[in-house]
Amino acid sequence: MALSQEDVAGIAEYAQIALADDELAEMTTYMNEAVDMLAPILEYDLDGVDPTFHPIGDLSNVMRPDEPTPGLDLDTAFANAGSTRERYFRVPSILGDGGVA
Amino acid sequence: MATELDQLSASAIAAGVVAGDFTATEVARASLAAIEARDGEVAAFLQVSPELALAAAKATDDAIAAGEKVGPLAGVPVAFKDNMHLVGTRTTCASRMLADYDSTYTATCVSRLLDAGATPMGKTNMDEFAFGSSTETSHFHRTYNPWDTERVPGGSSGGSAASVAAGEVPVSLGSDTGGSIRQPAALCGVVGMKPTYGAVSRYGVVAFGSSLDQVGPFGRTVGDVALAMNALVAGGRDPRDCTSQDCPVDFLEHLDDPVEGRRVGIIPELMEAKGLTDEVKSAVEGAARTLESQGAELVEVDLPHMGDSIAAYYVIGPCEAFSNLARFDGVRYGYQEPGCATLAEQSSRSRAAGFGPEAKRRQMLGAYLLSSGVYEKYYYRAQQARTLITQDYAAAYERVDVILMPASPRSAFKFGEISDPTEMYLSDMYTISINIAGNGGISVPLGLGADTHLPVSAQLVGPAFKDRSLLTFARALERGTDAGAGMGDGAPVAPDFVGRGGDLA
Amino acid sequence: MRELPDVLKDWEAVIGLEVHCELTTLETKMFCGCPNTHDAEPNANVCPVCLGMPGALPVPNKAAIESIVRAGLACNCEIQKHSMFYRKHYFYPDMAKNFQTTQGPVAFCMYGHLDLDVAGEGAAERPDGTGVDKAADGSYTTPVRILRIHMEEDAAKMNHLGGEEGRITSATESLIDYNRCGTPLTELVTEPDLRTPEEARLFMEKLRRIYLTLGISDCSMEHGSMRCDGNVSLRRRGETRLGTKTELKNINSFKSLHDGLAYEICRQAEVLEEGGVIYQETRHWEPSRRRTVVMRVKETADDYRLFPDPDLAPYDLTDEFIAHCAAEIPELPDAKRDRYMADFGLKRADAEQIAGDPDCAAFFEEAVAGETTKGAATVANVIVNDLTGYLNAAGIAISETSITPAQVKSLADLLASDAISSNQGREVFGLMAESGDDPAAIVDARGMRQVSDTGALEPIVDAVLARCGEQVEQYRGGNKRVVGFLVGQCMKDSKGKGNPKLFNQLLTAKLEA
Ligand SMILES: [Mg+2]
Ligand SMILES: [Zn+2]
Repeated sequence: MALSQEDVAGIAEYAQIALADDELAEMTTYMNEAVDMLAPILEYDLDGVDPTFHPIGDLSNVMRPDEPTPGLDLDTAFANAGSTRERYFRVPSILGDGGVA
Repeated sequence: MATELDQLSASAIAAGVVAGDFTATEVARASLAAIEARDGEVAAFLQVSPELALAAAKATDDAIAAGEKVGPLAGVPVAFKDNMHLVGTRTTCASRMLADYDSTYTATCVSRLLDAGATPMGKTNMDEFAFGSSTETSHFHRTYNPWDTERVPGGSSGGSAASVAAGEVPVSLGSDTGGSIRQPAALCGVVGMKPTYGAVSRYGVVAFGSSLDQVGPFGRTVGDVALAMNALVAGGRDPRDCTSQDCPVDFLEHLDDPVEGRRVGIIPELMEAKGLTDEVKSAVEGAARTLESQGAELVEVDLPHMGDSIAAYYVIGPCEAFSNLARFDGVRYGYQEPGCATLAEQSSRSRAAGFGPEAKRRQMLGAYLLSSGVYEKYYYRAQQARTLITQDYAAAYERVDVILMPASPRSAFKFGEISDPTEMYLSDMYTISINIAGNGGISVPLGLGADTHLPVSAQLVGPAFKDRSLLTFARALERGTDAGAGMGDGAPVAPDFVGRGGDLA
Repeated sequence: MRELPDVLKDWEAVIGLEVHCELTTLETKMFCGCPNTHDAEPNANVCPVCLGMPGALPVPNKAAIESIVRAGLACNCEIQKHSMFYRKHYFYPDMAKNFQTTQGPVAFCMYGHLDLDVAGEGAAERPDGTGVDKAADGSYTTPVRILRIHMEEDAAKMNHLGGEEGRITSATESLIDYNRCGTPLTELVTEPDLRTPEEARLFMEKLRRIYLTLGISDCSMEHGSMRCDGNVSLRRRGETRLGTKTELKNINSFKSLHDGLAYEICRQAEVLEEGGVIYQETRHWEPSRRRTVVMRVKETADDYRLFPDPDLAPYDLTDEFIAHCAAEIPELPDAKRDRYMADFGLKRADAEQIAGDPDCAAFFEEAVAGETTKGAATVANVIVNDLTGYLNAAGIAISETSITPAQVKSLADLLASDAISSNQGREVFGLMAESGDDPAAIVDARGMRQVSDTGALEPIVDAVLARCGEQVEQYRGGNKRVVGFLVGQCMKDSKGKGNPKLFNQLLTAKLEA
């Protein structure tokens, strides 16, 4: 089942990657090629096989004590931020109807 | 007698600094001079850090002058892949997204080398966010293979491999998600090791595939790689990385243990694989004979599910990459598209402009593969396949101590030679199953290929947390090989760059 | 719109709750060592991990896992030994990584229940014959199943500027404070077993008392450390199929939970009765306007791309770990309430209120150490009425007051021995709270001890009877309640010092004579 350009546009919207029309066409081609390349996975005999989400043997229950450690000062925290105001990170209007009363 | 920095191993430099033959500062200046003289043609570095280097070298010299104990890497110039944070440098991941990103903290792997006395020379080029096998996807520039500057250095840790091959630094760090240390090491003719997942902390290394990524060293000798490994694990498990584990610090101590009577696995099927060039095949067969001549026994083994690893890898990798790269939205850091009216517009345009094509492709693929209904068909099944691949390796290691195979199916290719992304993915055919299973692997240079006269390598693969034994076999192979620096002396600096800059007074 | 009791006769409301609770008593956040405090300056409690800086990795807080296991045990859940953290993806900058680390299909705690005792006026919300056996006084008990309690991390706080009342609508920009981002958050999900707003309210109150007793949170709905979403759908009585549900958000008090659900039930009934359709949507309760408004219509199910977090090792909780958590669970409110009723003869409501607040219970137990049943009941009375009223008015917690258990005990002794009347008791309490003096000293200094000497009271009674012929006539005519007025007259004549009970006895005896 091939991915249509609309499907790919939907994924791009979800993944928040604005694609131009020509990029969308290219991406659709790539996605279908890549998914085809992955097709063998649908054929593997995996009945009753447990998945391995963590390639670390039987490592489990890794935790830390509830003790504070130093964090970042504000200047460092803001060092790479594109937009801040006072002590806050700043983002533009979320719904985009800013200014309309 | 004038000494050339690029003729010294890391251990020789550390020994010389401690003995007072030269100072760490002199070594740092020599490395800076070598970079100055060579990097115009290699372009291994994205950022050279002379102030940090000279300050660290001075601290080492001061410590020695004060009679304090210094670490095993005292005065050794090292370079770090640009996905590793080091305060005082930018960490760009070779992406426009992070072009101006100042490191806000230092990665554990970096601080461990610095704690061992190393001198930080700078940050090396890579494929953008480590997506690639040629370093061609760097947003900033190419890196040129020191053996033939018309060719790629491999990737994604191409800059780290090239910096060592060109003699700019004796040791560098890379990260390996599907072969990103071992493949560029092979293409640049240096030693490159991916330790067992969990041996080296990932804290502070910008993540690609969290269950696949592992940091490891490059060097021109197995001994230098072992030295760096000791420094990387010396502090014990990193409490900041849940997946890191304790491992013994004895990589150097057992380097020259004999391999006599030990068993080396050969997988005949892999030696017949499509895409494997004759010169690599015969070099690896020669490596088998080298080990055999030292008394190791060659045993044929089978990894029935290894063929499944490419598909499994290209599911797991993009899914984890999508998730890990979701944070780059231009809000807290990273490229921010100006003048956007809404948050969603700012995020999606920042991500569109900040990421290069391959980074977008991988994230798009991952976002698709994780979506509901698709997750079960691909991601879940890929992780099931991972179980079978891991079990294959475990079964093989019941019978052998190490497995020998190619690292890269071919020597370095020309820029632009492989343009189809899915074809590029086959560069990693011999390396990715090791990331899937999580065990260790190392690329060992075998000299130049008979046909292309470019470096070719063998890969040794060992059981999880048996990286010490892996290094013992790698050293045995090195001992019986003249890769161009003399029998048993490891890999040479690429001939066009030998001796250019870098005199140690 | 019809009123709730009327609506619930025709319609069955099916209500489920999602309760988020911040583990405010922990020192640090869920996955990093940043301080877990509410009052820091914006973005003061941040680090590479909770800012989602590239390369940073999470490490779980052990105390948070212990807390949720304790919560699960206290809510009769089955503790799941094997579970994992998952990543739940959605692009919104209140989550620094654009995914929330939360649990997947298996939560630490699953399949629990709490039994609700519903009494008083609220019990009447549930019509008779709807699946519960009601006692003669209308009270009933009903179980509420808990599907799961899972561990996750909280989001950052966003301030929306330029919009109405800080709302997101029409805001021109938003500011983000990551102090709360990554703080430990538990999420409890009930099965849709609740049938009335009162039951929902009682469930939240009960859960809050348990969490407070466990000491895992300050459970402040006002400050948002305990938050609740309610799902509600209606179906005709007798129908088994579930209707379309709406989700109610912005509930910041028990009253809001009750009133919001009540409104929503009545609204849905009206829509359905007019032949309309309920849309699956999220609605916002506006307490000031007493209505719910649509926030968001859910057209398709959200796709969060959930998968196991590869950075976090899985959990295989050991029996020892679970036993260690169990051993740290103090006496829970229900058990404590029952003990107070059995040992001290407290009224159920008083016992429930005191037992539900660990600080209050400690105060009570200190005050009644070695006390008799009667004395304890009086202490409880002072605590539930005078002390609680005083604290509420002052806006402080019991742990913050300078009033001591010994003072309350002393006041209770005066009341129990009839040395002062209950009216005087209130006055003494006020004076005690103001001055910090001992109640006995206050009473003595002001000569307030009530007169319980019949000889001294009789002349007053006689004078009142002589003066109030009209009321005496009324009494003899059958209006026995008029004796209250006469007691009041006696109290007035005695300047408040006479024992009202004695006055009552004397008056009654003389009137009946
Ligand atoms: Mg949740
Ligand atoms: Zn933090």
